[in-house]
Amino acid sequence: MKFRIYISILLLFAGAIVTLEACKKAANNTNAGYNPTYLQLTIPAGWPTPPTDIFANNKLTEEGFQLGRKLFYDGRLSKDGNFPCASCHQQFAAFATYDHPFSHGFDNAFTDRNAPAIFNLAWMKEMHWDGGINHIEVQPLAPITNVKEMAETIDNVLIKLKADTIYTKMFTAAFGDATINSQRMLKALAQFMGSIQSYNSKYDKVKRGEASFTIAEQSGYNIFKANCNTCHIEPLFTDNSFRNNGLAVDPYLNDFGRMKITGSPADSLKFKVPTLRNVELTFPYFHDGRGFSLSQVIDHYRTGIHTEQTTLDPLLKNGIAITPTEKLDLVLFLQTLTDNVLLTDKRFSQPY
Amino acid sequence: MKRLIIYLIALLPAFHLLSGCQKNIEASSGTVKITFRNTVNGSPLALNSQIYSNPFNETYTVSKFRYYITNVSLNGPGGVTLKENNSYHLVDEAVPTSLSFYFETTENSFSDLVFTLGVDSARNNSGAQTDALDPLNDMFWTWNSGYVMAKMEGNSPQSTVVGNKIEYHIGGFTGANNVLKTINLSFPSGKLATIKKGQTSEIIVEADLNTWWQNPNDIKIAVNPVITSPGVLAKKVADNYSKMFTIKDVTNF
Repeated sequence: MKFRIYISILLLFAGAIVTLEACKKAANNTNAGYNPTYLQLTIPAGWPTPPTDIFANNKLTEEGFQLGRKLFYDGRLSKDGNFPCASCHQQFAAFATYDHPFSHGFDNAFTDRNAPAIFNLAWMKEMHWDGGINHIEVQPLAPITNVKEMAETIDNVLIKLKADTIYTKMFTAAFGDATINSQRMLKALAQFMGSIQSYNSKYDKVKRGEASFTIAEQSGYNIFKANCNTCHIEPLFTDNSFRNNGLAVDPYLNDFGRMKITGSPADSLKFKVPTLRNVELTFPYFHDGRGFSLSQVIDHYRTGIHTEQTTLDPLLKNGIAITPTEKLDLVLFLQTLTDNVLLTDKRFSQPY
Repeated sequence: MKRLIIYLIALLPAFHLLSGCQKNIEASSGTVKITFRNTVNGSPLALNSQIYSNPFNETYTVSKFRYYITNVSLNGPGGVTLKENNSYHLVDEAVPTSLSFYFETTENSFSDLVFTLGVDSARNNSGAQTDALDPLNDMFWTWNSGYVMAKMEGNSPQSTVVGNKIEYHIGGFTGANNVLKTINLSFPSGKLATIKKGQTSEIIVEADLNTWWQNPNDIKIAVNPVITSPGVLAKKVADNYSKMFTIKDVTNF
């Protein structure tokens, strides 16, 4: 009898200790094995501070980055398995779609606009050509659910991820427990995409004193600074503003750009100023990919601007005066913005 | 032997404390239950089955009815205010458990219920959210970041779009397109929610869907069967539906 009571007391104490430990864990919201490797975004010397800290509520970790990388390359985020994020955002094209005005999506569809390159997103406040996306974390919802792109529902994506024990492990490593939900998936994707950076082009090396321009490149740089640098501001080569650059409205697409987001006629035909970094590889150009070469794009600014458009950017009302010789030098300069480190960095490549 | 049993009994409250994971037991108090009852012209809303008539004699059925109730607070006589923490609720007629929510409060008397109809700007701007704000709930615009604050869908013979659908997804949180509404509801005269320790007070809020069509702005199905983006029309609907709530009852159990 006595013995039984001692055992009961022992069990009660043991139970209390176990629950106490459980409480500690609940309070810390982590499991004992959660020990991620924290990373930091590189801010290259001389660059502006990012407008907001995109990782303020999403601590950048190696584990989160690797989970995001796996998700980025995983076809299961699309309805039929054929369209991972990486199908339109190809590393060798600086994470744009190489040689396609529109990218291919589910069921033989074309996308509505040219796929933008993905890098230096920490400096970009709004995403999409029309700026409709206000945070890097909610960006993937658009292509995943668009019927012309990945054509999947978030519910289905999560069902597929939960069925894969590799993801259980990776979500645990990244976030401390095995919960797989939309918020964690989106935060992991943001960690990967937000970590893709471009700051090692020849241009950057010249700026750092590690290389020098050829005479033609230097001439092109001078022309750039005299004519292009108001919108394509260094070192990001964009001011991330929305402007009408005087392209004719395509009667089939009828794409009026940012007006779709703001509803304001003043924003008609305005599109985001794209970065010129890696511009050699992100062709075709403009929101609908109508410009197949840099020469064609420069010619648009020389002689092709539709000055009758009421929302035309005032800077372009007289076009940009560039001679054919200057054009050649300008193209040579733009090619110095190609960043081979980004294009070949194994950290950003397909993980399996 | 007996002494041992007495020790054991004496120790029990200590075990209880250890096992509960509770930090502030002294704060435990009463509960407020807020219940939403969706109606059309005073009759309980019946999804899909019931045909309703709007002020323009247009007939319609309702297949979805959802809205965000956020930043809930209770005000009492003498300037008492109680704010619910992390206060984001999606009320969905199709999900019975979503029609009520609870929160703990200290002993007090309250005479007014205040909440926001919609999701505040901060949560529209700060990336991926979870729980009531999870994009899985189909209340988040993927192409124009932001929450649908209130949603009504159904059918009407007066609708000119495919399938005679009606769709009103009302949202917008910036500048001129802001549809956020602060709703301040005073309890019926003489009624107070009197929160007592260990007891529950229930506040029943009625939402009349038929307010969406009129006062101050006429929204006719024949003219606008679909409103699914931020802008002038969404603002007009929001001005109408900001008047849809009334306090039906306050009960102290």
